[in-house]
Amino acid sequence: MSHIHIPDGVLPVWLWVGGWALALGLITLAARFGGRAGARRAVPLIGAVSALVLVAMSSEIVPIAYHINLTVVAGVLLGPWLGAISAFIVVLVLALLGHGGITVVGLNTLMIAAEMAIGWALVRGGVRLLGRTRVGAVSGVATVLTLAITTSLLVGIVALAGTGGAVRETGALDPETLEFRDPFSDGVFSLGLLGGEHEHEAEADVDHEGETAEETSEPGLNVGRFAAVVFTLGPIGWALEALVTAAIIGYVARVRPSLVFEGALAADHRPRYGDEQGGH
Amino acid sequence: MDVTAVDRSAVTGVSPLHRAAPGTKLVAAGLVMAAVVMATDPLVIAAVALALVAVAASLRLPLKEMLPLALYPAVFAVVFAFAAAPGPVTGALIVLKAVTAALAVVVLMFTTPYPQVFAPLQRITPTLVGDALLMTYRSLFILAEKSADLLRAVRLRAGISARQPIRGARATTRALGGLLLYSFDLSQREYDILRLRGYEGGLKVTPKVSTAPAADVAAIVFGAAALALTLVFRFSPPLAGYAWIAATAALAALILGVLLGRRSR
Repeated sequence: MSHIHIPDGVLPVWLWVGGWALALGLITLAARFGGRAGARRAVPLIGAVSALVLVAMSSEIVPIAYHINLTVVAGVLLGPWLGAISAFIVVLVLALLGHGGITVVGLNTLMIAAEMAIGWALVRGGVRLLGRTRVGAVSGVATVLTLAITTSLLVGIVALAGTGGAVRETGALDPETLEFRDPFSDGVFSLGLLGGEHEHEAEADVDHEGETAEETSEPGLNVGRFAAVVFTLGPIGWALEALVTAAIIGYVARVRPSLVFEGALAADHRPRYGDEQGGH
Repeated sequence: MDVTAVDRSAVTGVSPLHRAAPGTKLVAAGLVMAAVVMATDPLVIAAVALALVAVAASLRLPLKEMLPLALYPAVFAVVFAFAAAPGPVTGALIVLKAVTAALAVVVLMFTTPYPQVFAPLQRITPTLVGDALLMTYRSLFILAEKSADLLRAVRLRAGISARQPIRGARATTRALGGLLLYSFDLSQREYDILRLRGYEGGLKVTPKVSTAPAADVAAIVFGAAALALTLVFRFSPPLAGYAWIAATAALAALILGVLLGRRSR
């Protein structure tokens, strides 16, 4: 559950528009700082790593609604700036294939960019602290920590969406009050979905019995239940992701260490003679 | 998620929607997305979804490949609805919104080549991002094919079976490691090519011109109608009890669309 699989039209407008604005700001900054190595080198690298992440993400473990992400691997290779650009591309292409909403592309970009940056920092820090020989274990632990942090961010986003009057609102601005109104504030049946006005009134009466109007107008997304589900299913995914990340980074560190320890954009980007033998 | 099937349909398709201008289709998809965002009634959003399937069926788009992609987000939406929705009707609304939004983008992607979709984005994003989008598109097909070959080879050579999950997982992750090295080598080859061609940033995509003006108009009308429908049902409470009429009409349109599609074979 590393990125948001929340459908379009569920989160309030201010949240996803804000996400888009922040994401566009982030990638503009990232293009400025990450592009210092030159577009010639950055463009193919971002393209190849983004494609790799997309290929990995297209493998779905259906029963637990999880797929391998390789975001920490991508973060280690690209670093935080190019990683942010790659995050935007991956999320956008996935959204265009129907995987993840278009409106949440901004928020997802922020989530995955954070995942890549945190993963990159933890792996770099861990290797510096424990040495290159433990890079596999470091990567595994870094992945679990990273995913735990970003899953908490995800719950935070849902809590942001669900704590105010925008609860379950479909993102629209009420033209009468210029407020984000909860269309279900009087209950779903108030819309006359399954009946006419009489049913609406009856339903509303039942709903309102013994409660104040304000209490019933804020039923909202169940953040507690959502957190319980993602923190129950999440660790299974974190463990899988950690094992895969540890194995891949361990393998790459053995066969081409410069990629892991210096990053793919290291000054000498060609594999040095004898590099294949391992540097540790 | 078969990206090659999407690309094949987008590039080789000959339906009127394929010949419409990419910009028009993007606007139409945007209008449908706005309808999804504004919808508060499951029956109304179901009507929009059915109408989209009707369009795809009448134009003989590859529904067998499109529907699994459009239904894929339903898996996650069901999990989200179960976890967060306060009731079954809201849950249904969440799932229907996910499927309808996915249908809109899937119809767009099955009728429009990726570079044409990315072209407008290139105007609003930094050069590095726009170029990397196009390079990802190129690399994706190469890596998807390589990945399939690698996994096939791993299955054959390592004898992966359900009885030996650890051995299988090890072999698979090694294959993924190999794919990572391959992707890095691929990026170096692409770097060499870009250097040889004197690339300094700014890959250009020439926007496709419409050869079916009627399809342009129809696409915009469809998107506007979807949005108008959701707005009417959202802001006119007296009409809300009659959303079933919209859903029934969309169902009739779907049947008509299927019949039209069969007839045009």
